[in-house]
Amino acid sequence: MSNSVVVCTWDQGRKGTPAGAEETLTLARNLAAAAGLELNWVVAGPAPDRVPEIAAKYGVVHLDRIENAKLADFQPDVCVEALAQYCKEHTPKLVLIPQTFDARLVAPRLAARAGAGVVMNALELAVENGTVRVTASAYGGDTRVVYELTGAESCVVGVLADMLLAEAPEGKAAEPAVRQVSVDLGGVEERVRIIQKAHLEGPRLEEAQIIVSGGMGLGQKENFRLVEDLAQALGGMAAASRPVVENGWIDSSRQVGLTGKITRPVLYLGAGISGASQHMVGCTAAKTIVAINKDPDAAIFKYARYGIVGDAMEILPEITKAVKGA
Amino acid sequence: MKIVICAKEVLDPDAVDNYVLVGKLEIGNDGKTLTQKAIPRLMNGYDEQAIECALQLRDAGLDCKIHVVAVATDPTKILQHAVAMGADEVAAIPVDTGTVDGYATASLLAAFVRSLGGADLVLCGRQASDGDQAVVPGLLGEMLKMPIVTVARAVQMAGGTTVRVTRVTPDGDEIVEVSCPAVITISNEFGAPRYPTGMRTMKARKVKPQQVTPDSLSLGEGGGRPRMTMTRQFVEAIAGNCEFIQGSSPAAAAQELLKRLRADRVIE
Repeated sequence: MSNSVVVCTWDQGRKGTPAGAEETLTLARNLAAAAGLELNWVVAGPAPDRVPEIAAKYGVVHLDRIENAKLADFQPDVCVEALAQYCKEHTPKLVLIPQTFDARLVAPRLAARAGAGVVMNALELAVENGTVRVTASAYGGDTRVVYELTGAESCVVGVLADMLLAEAPEGKAAEPAVRQVSVDLGGVEERVRIIQKAHLEGPRLEEAQIIVSGGMGLGQKENFRLVEDLAQALGGMAAASRPVVENGWIDSSRQVGLTGKITRPVLYLGAGISGASQHMVGCTAAKTIVAINKDPDAAIFKYARYGIVGDAMEILPEITKAVKGA
Repeated sequence: MKIVICAKEVLDPDAVDNYVLVGKLEIGNDGKTLTQKAIPRLMNGYDEQAIECALQLRDAGLDCKIHVVAVATDPTKILQHAVAMGADEVAAIPVDTGTVDGYATASLLAAFVRSLGGADLVLCGRQASDGDQAVVPGLLGEMLKMPIVTVARAVQMAGGTTVRVTRVTPDGDEIVEVSCPAVITISNEFGAPRYPTGMRTMKARKVKPQQVTPDSLSLGEGGGRPRMTMTRQFVEAIAGNCEFIQGSSPAAAAQELLKRLRADRVIE
């Protein structure tokens, strides 16, 4: 077992950065420094443009590149095999994966291959007296659970990067040593065939700067228009809690929460949303939360910067009017 | 066709949420177990939807036997519920729930599936509503060397042993096909599970699940060993600094809110 922590990415992300890479590197770097582990970064498939620069910024020692034609696009069987071969050769103590949608499938599969422990939804990591300790979200964000690695040498960790902040260390960046890692993927045939790709039209909720979100407090589908009107007036996007999506008031691509999207806008305005933990997981990283709810004891007010106690049906149109009138 | 559904007993997540919201969730002396007796124990909702998925395949004409298996201290109640819903066979793997992790659970489930002579389809909920880990299906798929398709909103047979699955992805729906045997996880978008009639529920109460002890399963060398141990559980305190905006009317409150947001440079 080598004494290393390796951040593992394969997606192309946006703006040259794999999704969640910087937040995960922040966690990994702090852990490596505190526990005396070597920080490495393995990139499976084509590396997005900014990878070398980011690796240097976070003090990555080895930038490991797995380049193989089969890794050009994400394919789960191929990706798991490539990373399993990497882990077998380099035996990292900790494998940290930014928890994207695809990572939720890859991480446990990789752990099975490596005989390693696995923890998802991780928010904190520590190594104390040689014991790896992972703090993760549970019960839809209601509780935090601490897991210790007790029955294996290594552990795969899915990091809830969307809920963490990226913080590069101060000081001069050092170039990482690039290692080309060869893997044999000849025998891997993807077993799941894609018949129709997912295709998202329009902007992404995860990237929205302003989100206006509605809950069941709006009463009925027709009233959801008030949320959409304000979102439009503010140049933002409309979103919703899970019950609203389940009732078909808005498409599931707009669901905020643990089983939906984790967003981090500048402004999150929640109307008629009670603030169940599993929803708040999807928006607590927002810079400013505004809550409108009839019930002054609604949980969402605990997270909000500003609150208005009142009927969302009356208040939303007034905010829209005020925004437009400005 | 043989369908195995893996079901978990969980504490009602809505009840847990309610206790947390009022700041009254109790954690036992061990520092990790939620101890309130008033919190009902029930089948993980996503697993109920996995059973519903199997039942719908049967309703659509698939000739199949539906097995439901649970790893828990005593999963009798949730397995009886599975029978009431329409499961053919139910099995309990009795272990102290507090001592197993996802890895150990998946090892037990994999050994159970092997003891049945394999399965054509293994269906699981997309995650358990207590730990939210969603690792057992992936581990299980690898251990059984089956392909894994996650977060399905629709599952249908597409000729022979091919299954067509609609997945809920962040970019919208994706349609995939996979050949059996396979592991498929079912998401909440699948739709509400059927509610068994009172008569069926009464009848199911007499059913005794088959008891499959871990010792009777061949787990392979060290295979069933847990990797992770839960050592602590806590509720994170939320600071709470909400400033309530008062206004003589909704219009006045709206104006005041915008004034604050502009002052904070949140909006222009």
